[in-house]
Amino acid sequence: MFGLIDGNNFYVSCERAFDPTLIGKPVIVLSNNDGCAIARSAESKALGIKMGEVWHLSKRKPEYRNVIAKSSNYALYGDMSRRVFEVLSDHFQRVEPYSIDEMFLDLTQFARVDYCRRVRDSVRQITKIPTCIGIGPTKTLAKLANKHAKGGPTGVSDFSDLDARRQGFAEMPIGEIWGVGGASQTKLNNLGIHTVEQFAALPSASVRKLMTVTGQRTHAELNGVSCMPLTLAPDQKQTVAVTRMFGRPVETWEDMREALAAHAARAAEKCRKHGLVANAMQVFFHTHPHNGDPWYHGQRSFEIEPTADSFAIIGQAVAAGRSMWKPNTRYAKAGVILLDLQAEADAPRDLLPTVDPIKSEKLMTALDSVNAKFGRGTLRPGGIRPVKPWSTRANNRSPRFTTRFTELMEVRA
Amino acid sequence: MSERAYRGDETTGFQSPAQDHIEGVPDLAELLELRRPQRYAVRVKGEGLRKRGIHGGDILVVTTDAPPITGKVCVAFLHGDVVLAVLMEKDGQWWLEPSNQTPQPLSDDTEVWAMIAALVRTDV
Repeated sequence: MFGLIDGNNFYVSCERAFDPTLIGKPVIVLSNNDGCAIARSAESKALGIKMGEVWHLSKRKPEYRNVIAKSSNYALYGDMSRRVFEVLSDHFQRVEPYSIDEMFLDLTQFARVDYCRRVRDSVRQITKIPTCIGIGPTKTLAKLANKHAKGGPTGVSDFSDLDARRQGFAEMPIGEIWGVGGASQTKLNNLGIHTVEQFAALPSASVRKLMTVTGQRTHAELNGVSCMPLTLAPDQKQTVAVTRMFGRPVETWEDMREALAAHAARAAEKCRKHGLVANAMQVFFHTHPHNGDPWYHGQRSFEIEPTADSFAIIGQAVAAGRSMWKPNTRYAKAGVILLDLQAEADAPRDLLPTVDPIKSEKLMTALDSVNAKFGRGTLRPGGIRPVKPWSTRANNRSPRFTTRFTELMEVRA
Repeated sequence: MSERAYRGDETTGFQSPAQDHIEGVPDLAELLELRRPQRYAVRVKGEGLRKRGIHGGDILVVTTDAPPITGKVCVAFLHGDVVLAVLMEKDGQWWLEPSNQTPQPLSDDTEVWAMIAALVRTDV
């Protein structure tokens, strides 16, 4: 039996955990660069704020005047996610962190609903995060039960029983099913299939014809046949992407060079963290697609000597950027993507490498350990300034309450 | 920074008799249990609890799953403020006693956020 627990409006709940002035108020959290609403408190949803709403376009609406918009604080959300995971690990043999705010639970041999209610209370007390739990014999059913729990009073829904499930299915639209996307929804709606009940009753063969094997798997899971086991670690990464919208347009090569270098350095660091090397990379930058500026999109993909060395990757990224740089242009976004990743041990060795592998490894290990100890960006390759004029906008980020001694929650005595 | 980290083990002349006994510095995060999910660190502002040995600027390590105990100091959400207060139980009713306010009964608008477990002072 599976459980799926998720944090209610997770990012907003993380903010509220440390700031009582946000309780009961309409709060939203904005995406990178303070762009769109990516988390909304119940009060904000009630005001009609939509997921992904572009905040600078709508914040002047009179009905939104009391809305508190926070910049995203991923250092905080990541640590709170860890805390939720740790609490769950005290109660369940196996916990699969599926996303920052959702975890699958192994519910084998438990008195389920009561136990889950107690776990939910414990998560609430320890991490301050309110949650909902769905229970089902498959992951897809646990996910659906979790959606069902959102509407209910207890925060826990159990779809392990066939009759309980049937009742829930009757009024749930197919869009609520995990893995049924927009395209499949349209196809099914055109055939007159709108509810989960109708979809579950379809013959398996026609689902396969309509939605391929993936759809058929979802359909089987809805009917209680488990096709997806718990997985405890993510699959090996295939790519590492570091792409950012700029806080303000970048117009000089100096700023662009620096941005590419910073993105390349971060991508290389991520790569090393997983013990991987890249065999190819992609570098791109482009103008803003919607602000009226002329569209320019520079992009290059090319093979590189297998490496995760920051300096080698920065050098290649900057050279590629230089080759497609067009002056007198206002750039809105740039990115560096490392491709064809493989384990460092499996990478082919060049007979005459341009980077001394032993020296490089020592230097990169030193770089990573200093940055791990003293904070990201303490040691950085030359050419990346500590304060970046092009860097992401985050005008209303709360302190990193749980990870920095300089930013702790203040208590008045 | 030196070329390499020397931990008391790898010597160049005489072999270090300590090489199998290297332990490193004691880990305060371990002692204070900072990795446990119920542990949070907070910073004291103000001198209202000096008589309890708590000074402004101190770091308090608090626990969010400890039971409330009468007479103990807690971190509380009180009408939108984050405050330190002494917890008191009288005739079945719990009260918060902040240092410079009158006692407040625990109600819907107040929350005991955590109980204090340890104190760290770096400027003694």
